[in-house]
Amino acid sequence: MIGIVGHALLSLAFLAAILTTWFWYLVAKDTSSSAESTAPNLSPGRVETIAAVLFAAKGLLTLAASVLLLYLIFSHQFQYYYVYNYTSTDLQNIYLWAAFYSGQEGSLLLWILSSFLVGLAILRWTSPVYRAPVMFFMALTQVFLLSMVSGFPIPWYGNLGASPFRTLASTMPDALIFQTRPDFVPSEGSGLNDLLRSPWIIIHPPVIFLGFAMMTVPWAFALASLWKRTYHDWIHAALPWTLGANLCLLTAIFLGGYWAYVTLSFGGYWAWDPVENASLVPWIFGMAGIHAMLIQKKHARAHKASIIFAILAYVSIVYQTFLTRSGVLGDASVHSFVDLGLYNLLLFFIAVVSVVGFGLLFYRYRELPEADEESPVISREFMMFAGVMVLFLTGLVIIIGTSSPIIGRLFVPHPTPPDQQFYNNWTLPFAVFIAVLTVITQYLWWKRLDSEALASALIRPALIASVVTIIALVWADIRNLAYMIYLFAAIFAVAGNGSILLGMLRSNPKRTGGSLTHVGLAVLMIGFLGAAYDRPMVDARTQDYNRAVKARQVMDSDGFPVEQPIEFVELEKGIPKLIDGRYMVTFVDAEITEQNRPGEQEYEIRFEDVNSGRVFTMRPTVYPMLSNSSPGAVEWTVDTAVRTGWFSDIFMYVAGSSLVDREIERMNREQPSSIRSIDQLGPQMTGEDGSVTVRLGRGGVARVGDYTLTFRNFVYVDPSEMPDNSIIGVKADLLLVHRESADTVSVQPRYILTYDREGQYVYNPPEKIALTDGEVRFLNVHPEADEIELLIRGLEGEPEREWILMSAEHKPLISVVWLGTFLLMFGFSISIFYRWADQKKRERNE
Amino acid sequence: MRPRVLFGIAGIILFTSVVMLHFSKSISSYVDFEQAAATPGDQVHVIGTWDSSQPALFSTETMTFSFYMTDESGNTRRVTYPRPKPNNFEQADQIVVIGQMRGDTFISRDMLVKCPSKYNDSSHPELSQLQ
Repeated sequence: MIGIVGHALLSLAFLAAILTTWFWYLVAKDTSSSAESTAPNLSPGRVETIAAVLFAAKGLLTLAASVLLLYLIFSHQFQYYYVYNYTSTDLQNIYLWAAFYSGQEGSLLLWILSSFLVGLAILRWTSPVYRAPVMFFMALTQVFLLSMVSGFPIPWYGNLGASPFRTLASTMPDALIFQTRPDFVPSEGSGLNDLLRSPWIIIHPPVIFLGFAMMTVPWAFALASLWKRTYHDWIHAALPWTLGANLCLLTAIFLGGYWAYVTLSFGGYWAWDPVENASLVPWIFGMAGIHAMLIQKKHARAHKASIIFAILAYVSIVYQTFLTRSGVLGDASVHSFVDLGLYNLLLFFIAVVSVVGFGLLFYRYRELPEADEESPVISREFMMFAGVMVLFLTGLVIIIGTSSPIIGRLFVPHPTPPDQQFYNNWTLPFAVFIAVLTVITQYLWWKRLDSEALASALIRPALIASVVTIIALVWADIRNLAYMIYLFAAIFAVAGNGSILLGMLRSNPKRTGGSLTHVGLAVLMIGFLGAAYDRPMVDARTQDYNRAVKARQVMDSDGFPVEQPIEFVELEKGIPKLIDGRYMVTFVDAEITEQNRPGEQEYEIRFEDVNSGRVFTMRPTVYPMLSNSSPGAVEWTVDTAVRTGWFSDIFMYVAGSSLVDREIERMNREQPSSIRSIDQLGPQMTGEDGSVTVRLGRGGVARVGDYTLTFRNFVYVDPSEMPDNSIIGVKADLLLVHRESADTVSVQPRYILTYDREGQYVYNPPEKIALTDGEVRFLNVHPEADEIELLIRGLEGEPEREWILMSAEHKPLISVVWLGTFLLMFGFSISIFYRWADQKKRERNE
Repeated sequence: MRPRVLFGIAGIILFTSVVMLHFSKSISSYVDFEQAAATPGDQVHVIGTWDSSQPALFSTETMTFSFYMTDESGNTRRVTYPRPKPNNFEQADQIVVIGQMRGDTFISRDMLVKCPSKYNDSSHPELSQLQ
């Protein structure tokens, strides 16, 4: 019932979006392009009221639908697909809120709601000249977004998009359970992905969608200016919005990167994953747009660039949304989104957004203002424009890389994503150009210098940068030429922009946003360099081994050189090991704490710095991902521990342990399953003499002492091998693998039924196991369960050791990355305030 | 057209060609094990599934994880991976290994484990078991 209401609300919201778009079109059509003639004129005024009311209705209907969805989530109504799929009864309230936007449908709703807020702000604050056309374009995007969640019934087509109010039964009509019991309601949902249960990733989506919504504004303003032929003034109103959008995207990128760093075990904040690039490219194009608008504002040129980048920034958001949500990237990204049937809608969305944008641009291209004379090379507008072009090229390269599943087909049949080196190699020189250009432009911007004066003004930052760079090169032992140039450029940018910033702090603190962001960017660049010097922290023996691997002196069992270094160490409980030549590391204890999740284990690992004597403890955790697992095949995942330092972090996690192995055994004993897993163990009993009784089904696996035992199949015994008077004989084909050395032995104990005068008896002598002192006896066959019983002696091995595999990494300059990000955010915020106040002042004066 | 515009267009075409050239060298094609054996380089991508009928083990002696994988053409080969068993290995509905073929063994330097994630909800083992 609630589902039907929700469905209806979204369908109505969709209709309201279409209507409000139409009414805003009517209003905008009659809006004159000059500011003077906006005197109240009754009839258009009434149309505008209708348009605004419809817009509000669209927003409120979506809001009501969202509240309903939240209600379904909080009341655990698992008959709804969305509720079943993303929540479970054990979720804390905060994660139930987050579950609202865990799926595609909910996250689209969030995007629509953010756009509604932005739309209200536009209604409230935008001058009447632009209000109607801007609202028209804003509303147009809403039609598309709503079409994807409305489930609006279209005759002869079916439902439009994917509604969050679909029932489970309608999603899986073929499931057996719904054919026998159509009103079946699962008692428990499948839960929220454990990796997403982190405060960082919970606030990430609202921020990113607010950024997406705000980035619609410059696009809408640019198109409004083209439509209404007001090419000059739109940038003043659009600038704060673009800055705001960029601040949101930056914050969201930071949150996502920080989450990846502290939660995932790949050990970084950035991996050039398509989903990450999806928010980076709009940010870069947004930056280009901001700078183009600033040129236009100061110099009355670059009108075309402002419009082009305002369009591009939004088109890139929609394009990347298409890439990540349509299923195109299925193989390329670890975030595998499935195609919800939105492919065509998304394709249509990009087509409209770009065709309308670029179509209008070409239509008006000839009448766009053009500068009369070309700028000299040494001028702030030329330098700034050069920076804009570099930003554009950077974005272009990243788009090409991200589009590999599409563009790559030009070259190979089934393209893989490009190497990360592709992105690194291109962005590094671009970053160098940008860093240098920021300094030159800032000096020209604030000081109005000619080329000679500029050269002498730049001597000081260049000198500072040279000295600092040389010290850094020697201290950090940097030998790569590209890194040297990159580091110099970054430090030069810190010094140059920093000195401008210091001067401004005294004279004009409200306008420090620009120089502060440039300092932040340069600091960020320095931080990025740290990633090239990540180092696994291992003991001296492993270091020697890795050096030998590098020299290709280590051979594997097939006689080929080993190429992979070992990047983790095994620690035995209580026995310290010297790691990285500096830390005495001891695995102190492991216990099952269940602190945040059922089955969570915490490890206590003590580090003692042998240089300073300082002692600290790191507590990584490991937990079973119950929400992602089916009974019997439990996935385990790690939660990393990070020790943050000023210059470098220690990043570590437990990659495996005796405790995890024991827990896996226990879980499988308690919950045997038909799904076979390498950790699936058959029931076994240990006798007093150390012998082990194992009961196994065909294909079953058991752990015996240091060996893993697999019962592969039955083999019938040839009658010629059987004793006289035998009825039937089978052998069990067993495979034993030594877990440490991976040595493999196979053995086939016999089970032969014979008889003599006194009756039947079983002939099943113990069979020696080659290479070991052990023997195995085929005790019994249980035909009803298709299982066999084995008695194994002599494989007991050592008593269980307590051990962990620790993977630790030394990561330089991570804190510097965060510092640079914070400076950028702070700089953006200052600029937003300044530009907003500036625009208000301008409007009052008009 | 002014010469500056022409230069700009020529520059963009040149730039795009260079990027595309580099791009085409940075990507490769997903192949099967047979093709992998014939492909030079150590960045060969093979897609497949874990062959669960054969043992998959982490050896603490060689510090490698080894298992058997069946590619999309049905060839099964041993694969070694120089790190512990990745999270989600058993759940993976698809595994991508990146590395090179050496004799009958695929030496992977990297492995992507594709899981039926929360975004990708085609499989519902819990529901299909309910009667």
